[in-house]
Amino acid sequence: MKILVIAEQRQGKWNNTSFETLAAAQQVVAATSGIVSAAVLGKGVAALAEELATKDVAEVLLVEHELLESYTPDGYCAVLKQLIESAKPDLVLFPHTYQVRDFAPKLAAILGKGMVGDCVGFRNEDGKLVFVRQMFQGKAAADVTFTGAAPWFASFQSGAFRADLLAAGKGQKAPVKAVKVELKPEDIRTKPLELFKEAKSAVDLTQAPLIVAIGRGIKAPENIAKAEALAKVLGAELAASRPICDEGWLPMERQIGSSGQTVAPKLYLALGISGAIQHVVGMKGSRTIVAVNKDQKAPIFEIADYGIVADIFEIMPALTEELQKTKAAKA
Amino acid sequence: MTIQREQVEADVLIVGAGPGGLSCALHLANLIEKHKASGAKSELSAENIYVLEKGREIGAHQLSGGIMDPKALAELVPDFEKTAPLDTPVTNDGVYFFRESSAWRLPITPPPLANEGNYIISLNKLVKWLGGLVEKKGVNLFTQFAGKELIYDGNRIAGVITDDKGLDKNGKPKSNYTPGYELRAKVTVLSEGTHGSLTKEMVNRLKLDGLNPQEYGIGIKEMWEVPAGRIETGSVAHTMGWPLDSDMYGGGWVYSMRDNRVSLGMVVALEYANPQFDPHEHFQKFKTHPFVRRILEGGKLVRYGAKTLPYGGWYSMPRNYVDGAVIIGDSASLLNAQRLKGIHTAIKSGMLAAETIFEALKAGDTSAKALKPFKEKIDQSYIKEELWKVRNFHQAFHGGLWKGILNAGLQYVTGGRGLVDPMRSEAGYERYAKRSGNGTLRDQSTRFKGDGNLTFDRLTDIYHAGVRHEEDQPCHLIVAEPDICSSRCVREYGNPCQYFCPAAVYEIVKDGEGSKLKINAANCVHCKTCDIADPYQVINWTVPEGGGGPSYDGM
Repeated sequence: MKILVIAEQRQGKWNNTSFETLAAAQQVVAATSGIVSAAVLGKGVAALAEELATKDVAEVLLVEHELLESYTPDGYCAVLKQLIESAKPDLVLFPHTYQVRDFAPKLAAILGKGMVGDCVGFRNEDGKLVFVRQMFQGKAAADVTFTGAAPWFASFQSGAFRADLLAAGKGQKAPVKAVKVELKPEDIRTKPLELFKEAKSAVDLTQAPLIVAIGRGIKAPENIAKAEALAKVLGAELAASRPICDEGWLPMERQIGSSGQTVAPKLYLALGISGAIQHVVGMKGSRTIVAVNKDQKAPIFEIADYGIVADIFEIMPALTEELQKTKAAKA
Repeated sequence: MTIQREQVEADVLIVGAGPGGLSCALHLANLIEKHKASGAKSELSAENIYVLEKGREIGAHQLSGGIMDPKALAELVPDFEKTAPLDTPVTNDGVYFFRESSAWRLPITPPPLANEGNYIISLNKLVKWLGGLVEKKGVNLFTQFAGKELIYDGNRIAGVITDDKGLDKNGKPKSNYTPGYELRAKVTVLSEGTHGSLTKEMVNRLKLDGLNPQEYGIGIKEMWEVPAGRIETGSVAHTMGWPLDSDMYGGGWVYSMRDNRVSLGMVVALEYANPQFDPHEHFQKFKTHPFVRRILEGGKLVRYGAKTLPYGGWYSMPRNYVDGAVIIGDSASLLNAQRLKGIHTAIKSGMLAAETIFEALKAGDTSAKALKPFKEKIDQSYIKEELWKVRNFHQAFHGGLWKGILNAGLQYVTGGRGLVDPMRSEAGYERYAKRSGNGTLRDQSTRFKGDGNLTFDRLTDIYHAGVRHEEDQPCHLIVAEPDICSSRCVREYGNPCQYFCPAAVYEIVKDGEGSKLKINAANCVHCKTCDIADPYQVINWTVPEGGGGPSYDGM
């Protein structure tokens, strides 16, 4: 069996699952027979191809093209179609990455072939290759085989095989073969923009020494600015009880309580929070709790160190103003 | 975009791992095992039985009072007394009539409410144990997977589609998106419990309704740990009267379990006239009755839950077999409203379904004709014997408690016939007293809050239900006409959703001059009251992402 592993790189950096998949391919060959080749796509990735050549593979196919600098599903599919048609592998293996999830099913469909995604293992059953994949969130394992003619497509889940079991080449390096492909700009219907990393949640409420938290008493999203102003002058983080985040007035990561964060700051200023048990379990460990609420029977007062029975819309600006004065006096 | 779903094929697919569904799985696995042990060559295998359960784990959504008549379990697991988690046998029982500050014990316990030989159990624990037996047989048990949609091949039920995972609030796929599986089966067993969402859809679509519409009650339960010596373990009290008016059907219970645990609760038929009646508040009041307070005072609340129960009985029973499917247990209206028991009939119906399915699979025919023996087996079993005698029981109380007692007495001596047979009924939501049409929003801040020791508000209670849902998912409570809340309901009924929901899911909030509905879906305890009691029938309870819901440990 001729196996082709499509290794994944992005901006010259390997996705490590590629090595796991290459190791898997070696194991498939060991259990059956045949050879493993590897392919790497991109622009200026010859060094990566050389690196693959040190592994125990028959050859490394290097596909370089100007338009492969950034990943596009159209570009990858067009190029891999040509590569597969010329190299004629029986089995094409991918690491099951987000990128592969994006283009591999499409590629298989273009070639009219089946694809078994996200496999965690394989077996050789009397010469028939059986892939194992998880179902029902890992509660069941399904055996899958291919019925149609080769080439077959499969991807392996990250962590299913060990990259450190990847065998290095014996003696000589494997040949690196540059493969010429046709790719025109009009083949690619999408335009990749600049890569970005999703900003990690900027706020870590569990580390905040001071927290100003708002509840239903804030009434409307436009009033949040008033609480923000108070938080700012205090140097505190803004947090909220569930209804506020539920309405989308503040992001989920600022929610305190049983379905949000658990915090224990030095000061917890609860504004217009009634103190339902679901909220209290997330903040009762705070060193000092100050609560402002119109309803003197609100349960928040049972755990508050200081309670103010008042309208938060009177307290918030007054407190902000006082703090500003104090600050100004100090400065 | 059409969703490509993975297909899985099974012989039998059971939707809902309650006492009925698990008994069906276990009995069927046993039958297959025996069949093979007798030397028969067979393709049948326990591995081709699939059970879906939407709860986080087996038993998580099981709620019962719960007294169990063990007769069906004894047939299913003959040595159950040695291995099953039976909390305590019933040692004594009494029926009490409550007035606000007094309790009068009926000199004799009416025979249907006598519980000698029965057990007080935690249904959660019993079902967990049953799940273990089923798993040992090699049956595929999938927790955290809900039956979302039935697959129809014409009028044949061909299986179910499970819930999609990883959809956000707006129904857009998140990074962990996995479309639901298309589970195809030769026979689908609907064992969803009370008011199942698939059962409801199928009964409507295939017109399987019984003679009467189904009638429901809501049961609200708390589990308490009380100081030692308050009440003898194994004692059972059922109450009538206060805090319910005599024109309402319902009552309370206090069951004493091992380790100073007390199961208490209240059941109210969802057919009361006052649309702003609050079952949760009345249950809280019930605890302040001297009889109950004396037991609970100084103790602490451990767990809370709520669930509806089908009262309709024999004449509300839908046709329980179709091409490719059967309905069992509460979903099939097999609860005995007079004895307040449905666990044994659920187990028995699961076993009878298993026997029917076993024969049908062997014959290679799972059409309605081949599954009809299920209905016949029920008719020949003690399920019918029991339910037939009380076929008009609940309906007899439609004229209030006193007439009801009289009617029920007459039925008792006439084998269930009474004065009128069958007694017809209407759906509970049709019995609300409609207001003149000029009702206004009622201030919610004055709602019952409880004292925090003996009585609680709903939010505190649901905290003790261990409810958890994935927060970022589409709302599973689908309101067909949300405008009706502010345009008509507020005037005509005063937004009963705010009152009947025992989990504070429905809120009417101010919206400029008017009002709008806010749904706190993450609070939902899966009781189905909203779907049943909404006066316009515009609320559709569907399954949330699998794994969400309450956690009824020990309930």
